[in-house]
Amino acid sequence: MSSKIYIAGIGAITAIGNNVAQCLHALENEKAGMHKATYLKTVHATEIPVAEVKAGNEELGLLAGMNSKISRTALLSMIAAKEALDDAAIGNIQSLRAGFISANTVGGIDKTENYFRNIFKEQHAGDLHDIVNHECGRITELVADKLNLHAYTTTISTACSSSANSIMLAARLIKAGMLDLAVAGGVDALTKFTLNGFNTLLILDNDWCKPFDEHRNGLNLGEGAGYVVLVSEKLANHSAREIYCELKGYANANDAYHQTASSPDGKGSYLAMQQALQKAGLQPADIDYINLHGTGTHNNDLAEGTAIQRLFNAPYPKMSSTKSFTGHTLGASGGVEAVFAALAIRHKLIYPNLRLQTPIPEFPFAAEKKLLKNQVVDHVLSNSFGFGGNCSSLIFSKL
Amino acid sequence: MQRQAYIISHCSISNNTVYKNGEQLFADAAENIQQFLLKVYRHLEIDYPKFYKMDNLSKLGFLASEYLLKHVPVVHKQEEISIVLTNAHASLDTDVKYFHTTETGASPALFVYTLPNIVIGEICIRNKFKGENAFFVFEKFNAAFTAQYVTDLFSSSNTKLCLCGWVDILDETYTAVLFLVSAHATDNTLLFNEENMMRIFKSVQA
Repeated sequence: MSSKIYIAGIGAITAIGNNVAQCLHALENEKAGMHKATYLKTVHATEIPVAEVKAGNEELGLLAGMNSKISRTALLSMIAAKEALDDAAIGNIQSLRAGFISANTVGGIDKTENYFRNIFKEQHAGDLHDIVNHECGRITELVADKLNLHAYTTTISTACSSSANSIMLAARLIKAGMLDLAVAGGVDALTKFTLNGFNTLLILDNDWCKPFDEHRNGLNLGEGAGYVVLVSEKLANHSAREIYCELKGYANANDAYHQTASSPDGKGSYLAMQQALQKAGLQPADIDYINLHGTGTHNNDLAEGTAIQRLFNAPYPKMSSTKSFTGHTLGASGGVEAVFAALAIRHKLIYPNLRLQTPIPEFPFAAEKKLLKNQVVDHVLSNSFGFGGNCSSLIFSKL
Repeated sequence: MQRQAYIISHCSISNNTVYKNGEQLFADAAENIQQFLLKVYRHLEIDYPKFYKMDNLSKLGFLASEYLLKHVPVVHKQEEISIVLTNAHASLDTDVKYFHTTETGASPALFVYTLPNIVIGEICIRNKFKGENAFFVFEKFNAAFTAQYVTDLFSSSNTKLCLCGWVDILDETYTAVLFLVSAHATDNTLLFNEENMMRIFKSVQA
C-alpha cells in the first residue's frame, strides 16, 4: 500500500520535439508545431493544418528500436514510454511489479485505412500484416512486450480524456498495493480516420488554433505520446533521481449531455476539477497553474471556462492551453500534458497560450500570452475532457 | 454464485405495433418508419425535444424504453441501473445515410450517431442512469448470451435494475424487444432466463 503517488520519470514525443528536452525547448521559445501535413497522406493537406511529429516511420522505427512497418502509433508509444522509463532510472525493474497502462484512440488504423483502400480495388491486394495491430490494445501489448512491463497491462480508450484516465488508473493500482510502479499515459498517431471525422464535425480550424480566444475557430489535430512513471512512496524514497512531483489529486466525471459536445455550463468539467481538488485536499486558491484542455473549439473553451469561473475565485490561477503548441493529440493529450505539468513544476514555468489576442469577454480571466519564468508553481491542475462527456482532471504538486 | 433476476416488464415495437407485457398498446398503419416512430412518440405523450434529433435506432430504443420506464418509480440509485443492448446491424442504418451525405457535405448530425451504443447513451441521459452498459452485435437475438451476461451483472456488480434486449433497424425493417429486469421479484414477474426471453421474443416475431 502506498498513500502517496510520485512522478519519477517523464517521456514525450510531439510535434514540438522528439523527446522531453526538445519539447521543453520549444515551449520556452514559443515554437508551435503546426504545419502542412507531410507524413499523413490526406486530400486535406493544403487546407487543414496539423501538428505532426517531425519524423517519418523509418526514423521513428530507429528511435523506437522496432520494425518501422508496424503502426506509427506503436512507434510513438515506444519512444516516449522508453524515455520515461530511462528517465526514472529505477534499475532492476524485473524485481518489481511494474505495469503499463497506456491509452490510445486510433490503434493501428493508420495501417488499416490504407489496407482497405487497396482491397476495395482488388480483393487480394494488401499485406495482412497491416491489419493485425488494428486494435487499440495491440499497440499497448507491442510496447509492453518490448519494455518487459508485465505485472499489469491494459489499454484505456475514452476519447480525449484517455491518457488522463490511464494515469488515474495507474495511481489507483499502486495505491491499492497491486503495483509498485506503472508507466502511464497515452499515444495517438494522426490518421485519415480522425482527420476526416473531426472535419465532419466542423471543429477543425483552417488556421493555427487559437484556444481561449474570442475568435477561436476550432482545433488542430496533433499526434504524439506522453508517459509518466508513477511510483509508490517506498520506491520514491529509494530513487536515485530527483522526483518530479506528486500526483496529489485526480477525478473523472461525466456530462451526460451529448455524444461529442460539452454541456454549455461545463457540468462534467466542473465535477472533475472539484473532485480532484477534494481528493488532493486542496482549495481552488491553492492552484497556481491550470493546463487547460483548451482545444480551441467554441464549445469546449466556453464550457471549460464556465466551469472554471464557477469553481475558482479572483485572483484566478494562471492558465494556458499547450495545445496551441502541440495541437490536440487526442488519446495522448493527458499524458503529454502531464509531462508538461511536471516540467512546469520543476522549472517554475507558466507556458504561454500562443496566438491569444482577444480573451473571451464572458470570463473574468484570461490565458497567459507570454512565457512566465521563476513562478511559484506548487500545484498544477491538468484538464482532459473527451467526447461522450468523459471529463478528467489531474493535480500535480511540488514535493 | 449466480443470482436469480426477474423480468418485471417487457416491451416490443415491430410491424407498426407496440406491445407491453403482451398487450397491444398502439398500432398505426404509417407509411414509413419515420412516420411510425413519430406517432409512437406522440402516443407516449411525453415532451422530450431531443427525440427529434435522434437517428432511427436511438428513436426505436428510446421509445421502447419509455414504455417500460415511464411510470416506474425509481427506487434505485443511478449507479445501480444498467443497460445491455444487442442487435444485428449495429448502426448500419445511419452509417449508410451518413455515407451518402459525404458526397455533398458530410452531416455532423448524422455522424454522431454512427455508433450502435449511442442509443444506450440517449436512454441513460434521459433517465440519468449511471450503471454498467454494453452493446453487443449478433447475427440474431442471442437470448442465452444476454441472459448469461445480465445475470452475471446482477451477481458481480452493484446492478439492481437492468434494461436489456434487442434493438435492430435497417431501412424499413425494425424490431425492438426490451426487458426490464430486477433483482427482486414482484407480482406477475417472470424468471429472467433464456427460455422466457426467447418465448417473448418469438411471440413478437409471430
